[in-house]
Amino acid sequence: MDGEGQRAAASWENGTLAPVDRLRSERADSPTPGLVEGTEPGAGQKSAMFVHAQSFEDLTAEAEEEARRETELDKSGECADDLKALEEQHSNDVSSEARTKEEDVSSEAWRSHRKHVFVLSEAGKPIYTRYGTEEALSSTMGVMMALVSFVEAEKNIIRSIHADGCKVVFLTKSPLVLVGVSRTCQSDKELLRELQYIYYQIVSLLTLTQLNHIFQHKQNYDLRRLLAGSEYLTDNLLHRLDRDPGLLLSAVTCLPLPSSSRDVVSSSLQAAKSKSLVFSILLAGDRLVTLVRKKDQFLHHIDLHLVFNLVGSSSSFREGEGWTPICLPKFNTAGFFHAHISYLEPASELCLILVSTDREDFFNMSDCKKRFLERLSKRTAYTALKEALKCPSYSVAQVGIPELRHFLYKSKSSGLYTSPEFPEVYQSDEEQERLMGLYQDLHSCLHHPTRPLRSFYRCSESENLLAWVTSGFELYLCFSPLGTKALAVSAVTKLLKWIRKEEDRLFILSPLTY
Amino acid sequence: MSAMRVDAKVVMLGKESVGKTSLVERYVHHRFLVGPYQNTIGAAFVAKPIQVGDKVITLGIWDTAGSERYEAMSRIYYRGARAAIVCYDLTDSSSFQRARFWVKELQNCEEHCKIYLCGTKNDMIEADRSLRQIDYHDAQDFAEEIGAQHFETSSKSGNNVDELFHKVAEDYNNNAFQYMTAEDTGVDLGQKKDSYFYSCCHN
Ligand SMILES: Nc1nc2c(ncn2[C@@H]2O[C@H](COP(=O)(O)OP(=O)(O)OP(=O)(O)O)[C@@H](O)[C@H]2O)c(=O)[nH]1
Ligand SMILES: [Mg+2]
Repeated sequence: MDGEGQRAAASWENGTLAPVDRLRSERADSPTPGLVEGTEPGAGQKSAMFVHAQSFEDLTAEAEEEARRETELDKSGECADDLKALEEQHSNDVSSEARTKEEDVSSEAWRSHRKHVFVLSEAGKPIYTRYGTEEALSSTMGVMMALVSFVEAEKNIIRSIHADGCKVVFLTKSPLVLVGVSRTCQSDKELLRELQYIYYQIVSLLTLTQLNHIFQHKQNYDLRRLLAGSEYLTDNLLHRLDRDPGLLLSAVTCLPLPSSSRDVVSSSLQAAKSKSLVFSILLAGDRLVTLVRKKDQFLHHIDLHLVFNLVGSSSSFREGEGWTPICLPKFNTAGFFHAHISYLEPASELCLILVSTDREDFFNMSDCKKRFLERLSKRTAYTALKEALKCPSYSVAQVGIPELRHFLYKSKSSGLYTSPEFPEVYQSDEEQERLMGLYQDLHSCLHHPTRPLRSFYRCSESENLLAWVTSGFELYLCFSPLGTKALAVSAVTKLLKWIRKEEDRLFILSPLTY
Repeated sequence: MSAMRVDAKVVMLGKESVGKTSLVERYVHHRFLVGPYQNTIGAAFVAKPIQVGDKVITLGIWDTAGSERYEAMSRIYYRGARAAIVCYDLTDSSSFQRARFWVKELQNCEEHCKIYLCGTKNDMIEADRSLRQIDYHDAQDFAEEIGAQHFETSSKSGNNVDELFHKVAEDYNNNAFQYMTAEDTGVDLGQKKDSYFYSCCHN
């Protein structure tokens, strides 16, 4: 995958695409965008920032297994008994020492959580649970492990069990085993994708090399010792997986900002370079302001989301300057980068992350930050940037399609997406998660491993949904239930025109390298 | 904006949640943050000027994370430190074991680093004496044995916090001259050459 991404970017740099200025005018002239990758609204003008990746690159690599899984599904009847055992086990798990602040794992409330996630070692030692404590769940985890090894012994790899409106999905990533138990209608593939994220979260804290090393030396090692204090990162990532379209789309979203200002911010960041610096990332909350990278080095969206999660979950970077090892697993699972993390001003939303290869380079990074800030604060773009922070999102009403409630639009070649704020009807957390669930459904249909769809229209009592994927973009729309299909289809053209018109503001069209 | 010069590197060490960040927070920002405890990730650096006599000394304080995950990394944070504030929680005896570990590590790797042993969360003891798990005299004896200064502080009330950091700066000031003549370079041992005075060298 990585190789492919670089090839794609390289071919652009070789000028197979129209020169920048011509492209610009073409963009303006043809508001109905090409369906072709690289010309869709939001496509970068020169090169992409990210590794060019399909949504499921990790899983497609295991395509043969996928096929095997399909046949395995038929066997799920057999496993249902084991699942029952698993559920019963829960009720026997009353641990006398369960910490009071923690949830009682025998309670109805614990069981009724929509989605459980467990991580265990191959020896069956508990490492993480989303709800309750690992201690209280150790026998449950034992049963899970028994299931895994039982099926593995028969040379089948257990991937999922369906029973009683409940799905259990397994992901074996030696030396870890991840288990998801879900009452949602998400597909196995979506659930696996989420488990994959959790796996990468753990790797990003320890590196895979270290993980392997530990378990080679001591199969029985209690990994919680090393992960102590990081549980909230995993908790938060799971929360994001339920709510953040970026994780679903394998894309990130930008702070809306006039391109003239963004370009100044980018070039100021570009100027503050240093030998060991690989990526400079400026964030506004959960939104990307700009990203400058070393030539030939691409960041993967998963790695970027892990960085977002690290920064967003912790207030510990609020004061002073953070300096922390971080493994970017999609870049390299073997080693640590070192990230200099600081906010531009004490109460500011703007967080700068400088990713360095050299752990001794703190003071150089600190100096890069100073130079960046010095340069930027002299320019009016800084004022514009601070102004833009006041409205980090936009209302769907701006598009001017009355029936349209919400949408997600991803430009595939740039790996960036845009989406308006949630409208009135989706204000509560439950409603927002429900809408995200609907999008996930659509996403599953469009990316079905064997029968993918190009477009999809679905009516329900509370909303109508349309999804459309081309080689250039992915689009998901949510309409009021009163609209018609014809109306929805015509809305697409109108929306694409609008995005084209606004792309300067909503996307990063000219990413830079040092 | 001229970059700040750092005179003395100070490192905070100790088991997780003993209150290292709270100490720095109290000393630098004169406040105590209530609310859910946030582990430090990696380490955080903050430079703080402090008046000692007629001089201003800038302490470069490294607040490290207590999690074992970062143990292998800890050398980069304490290397070249002139002072280490090794913290333990007065209400948690296991944290004192961890403090002993750090003391040993410093004695082995960083002989020029002065050690300040700091028992934290004194306010809790004051509210309820039965919470104390580390006897004052035991800690004091240990401090004398290793040639360290000993403090008991509360970041919540602010008790003894300024005194601790003031002592660090004062000791640095008293010893600085001695170091300058003792070491041919005049720059701290083991410190990357241009990083300590990274700005004054450039300007
Ligand atoms: N009562 C009281 N509580 C304190 C004091 N100092 C810290 N705490 C509490 O102890 C907890 C941990 O404090 P931190 O300062 O974050 O601990 P730390 O040593 O930085 O922990 P790590 O970053 O994980 O290594 C927090 O909940 C603080 O509120 C104190 O002086 N008195
Ligand atoms: Mg801390």
